Amino acid sequence: MGDTILVMEDIDKTFPGVHALDHVHFDVKKGEVHALMGENGAGKSTLMKVLTGIYTKDSGSITYEGKEVEFHNTREAQDAGIVIVHQELNMVGDLTVAQNIFIGREFMKGFRIDDKKMIEESMKLFDELKIEIDPRAKMSDLTVGKQQMCEIAKAISHQAKVIIFDEPSAALTEKEIEDLFVIIRDLREKNLGIVYISHRMDEIKVITDRVTVMRDGGYVGTLITKDCTKEDIINMMVGRVIYEEPKTQSAVPKDAPVVLKVEHLNAGRMVKDVSFELKKGEILGFSGLMGAGRTETARALFGADPKTSGDIYVNGEKVTINSPQDAVKHGIGYLSEDRKRYGIVVQKTVTENSTLASMEDYMSGLFINKGKEKKVTEKYIDELKTKTPSPDQLVVNLSGGNQQKVVIAKWLVRNCDILIFDEPTRGIDVGAKNEIYKLMNRLASEGKSIIMISSEMTEILRMSDRIVVMCEGEKTGELDISEATQELIMDKATRNIS
Amino acid sequence: MEKIKQNAIVKMIGFNRCVLLLVLVLMYVIFSLLVPGFAGMARIMSILNYVYFLGFLSLGVTFVIATGGIDFSIGPVMFCCGLISGYSMLNKGVPAPLALLLSILIGLIFGTVNGYLVAYWTVPPFIVSMASMNIAKGVAAVYTKTQSVSWPLSTDPVYGWIRNLVSFNGFPVGLVIFLIAAAICLIVLNNTKAGRYILCLGSNREAVRLSGVDTKKWEMLAYMICGLLVGIAAIFFVSAYTTVQPGYGDQYNNEAIAGCVMGGTSMVGGLASIGGTVIGVFIISLLQEGILALGFAKDVQLIVTGLIVIVVVYLDVMARRRKN
Repeated sequence: MGDTILVMEDIDKTFPGVHALDHVHFDVKKGEVHALMGENGAGKSTLMKVLTGIYTKDSGSITYEGKEVEFHNTREAQDAGIVIVHQELNMVGDLTVAQNIFIGREFMKGFRIDDKKMIEESMKLFDELKIEIDPRAKMSDLTVGKQQMCEIAKAISHQAKVIIFDEPSAALTEKEIEDLFVIIRDLREKNLGIVYISHRMDEIKVITDRVTVMRDGGYVGTLITKDCTKEDIINMMVGRVIYEEPKTQSAVPKDAPVVLKVEHLNAGRMVKDVSFELKKGEILGFSGLMGAGRTETARALFGADPKTSGDIYVNGEKVTINSPQDAVKHGIGYLSEDRKRYGIVVQKTVTENSTLASMEDYMSGLFINKGKEKKVTEKYIDELKTKTPSPDQLVVNLSGGNQQKVVIAKWLVRNCDILIFDEPTRGIDVGAKNEIYKLMNRLASEGKSIIMISSEMTEILRMSDRIVVMCEGEKTGELDISEATQELIMDKATRNIS
Repeated sequence: MEKIKQNAIVKMIGFNRCVLLLVLVLMYVIFSLLVPGFAGMARIMSILNYVYFLGFLSLGVTFVIATGGIDFSIGPVMFCCGLISGYSMLNKGVPAPLALLLSILIGLIFGTVNGYLVAYWTVPPFIVSMASMNIAKGVAAVYTKTQSVSWPLSTDPVYGWIRNLVSFNGFPVGLVIFLIAAAICLIVLNNTKAGRYILCLGSNREAVRLSGVDTKKWEMLAYMICGLLVGIAAIFFVSAYTTVQPGYGDQYNNEAIAGCVMGGTSMVGGLASIGGTVIGVFIISLLQEGILALGFAKDVQLIVTGLIVIVVVYLDVMARRRKN
């Protein structure tokens, strides 16, 4: 490890309703891999967004190569040598690999783009990284793993001195992760500073030199990786929060009726012949890598996207679901992974959001019965312990966890018996996370049936009665919670990928 | 400042709308000082004539903008309504009450088709309304053989009564009708399922669709309401201004949209204020009258309204950016 290249000191950032970063400290040395850890919503991504100028900090200082800096956008950060390799890849699918790597700074030959030179330069980059990718290939034809390699190549081509990996392994197979580690070690050799954000404890032990842990937007501490145990890190991450006891066996009686049966569901390229059953009062976990087709399955089932074929039975009766309207009519509610885009209407009030799916029940003749609306909203604010000053508050002013509760309230007001929770705790803070867990367990015990899609292994193992594993659009396994282990799930989740 | 914001009356009307009202009064005072003889009933009646037809256009387009859409066909469609109904009445013997209904019907047809194309075929509203603007001009010109239509004056023994819709013995009937229409729009937007869905889908269409709401139906309805109001606007236009020429009407698009956005309806959808639109319409009408009274040519109106649209939309965008 060499000199310190980057220091973030006393960084503070507040969003309406959330203290996202509370005087956080973070530094990176040349030639080290520094893990940034914390649960969902701990503030890791926010910190990196402050660093690269996507957010402006409220206070604190950033010192880079000995000088205080403040980037106003990712472009400025990039030019200075700080680059993020995102979890969601920022690639243009229809362009070639080379065109993507040099996007925004194409080589020119007079007025024309010099594709030949870009291909040559890409080749050089790939040689340097010892990766085998054809620069002429179309980006969308590559696997997620290969696309990520291209992101890394792009980062290096920017003369990066600090590279931030934001959960790079979420979509990768074991083999691809190994390849990634080879590259990361190589970059460390070249004296780059590397920030590695991940949830996977095993990887942290293998690849990183130091670990900084964040919790609830605050800085907890920094450890030397080889001197600490997994438990040390977990304790720092979880802190005061006591989670719901993990299930060791299914809480669903053997003879519980099947409320939802999906048979041979096909939709687009991402859902291939998926069949499963959901029992009354059950939490059915859906596990798999990013891009395994879990969300696509849920959306097709819910009628949000068209399906090619497949039968759906609700309470034993075959039903036609061609639109969300049909799904809601049959008592299915869907809580999306992307709350802001698909869940809430941000510029509207808690009340307006809560009754959105059930307006018919809140009409007096032609007019909305605003009193009745307010009453039911208050009931669920109370029941779900939603933190809001009043039912008339705009949802945009609530924190992530409370916004999520408003979406849940929407489906409870509608009295849906089948709930699809797609990454229900993504981007919400740690305390609120456990409240959502409690709520899900309570709903299940009250006889609601829940499909829970989650990318967090701990969440899957903690909450599910039964687990469906998917890989590349196919169902590759089904496990009862009593037999499920992390290894077994990972094995099934990567079964189709060589 | 905070004290003013907490005042009961200010709270009821809304702070932004109070500011707009103040602007309206100030503008009237300034014009009165600058132009001798500006103040007075005659001028007010003249401004009101402008308010009526522009008001209906603005109310209509408020619903469309609330969905996050836009309609650039309202002005020419209004002219199309006035031309076809007038020509039918004067040259084809269609009875006057039927001719007025015909005007409303034509507006509704345009609104329905626009709405259908936007909602079900997902053609961008900008393109749909540009195309239907030209179709409206073309249809009207073909039907009237490119002749302008002059609606009968109040002295006309058969048709003169139509003018009473605007004013009866000096009483501004039009103002009463317009304010009643605005009140109905206010209730529709804030107290009915249609209004709720229109505003919500303007704010986040996908979230509303995923809540099991038939977003297409409600989006189309917004354009239908707009079309209906444009048909009514035509009646007030011909009652106040007599002559309608084929091939015109574009300038009123900008004026109607300016009135609406100035009143606090956001161009990106989801937020709409009927009260604001009403005040905005008064401001725009006063401005048009004032510009002419100051001795400028009619073309200056176009420049000023165009600039207003840009400034007001810019302010709206900035306000949103600050919020985020």
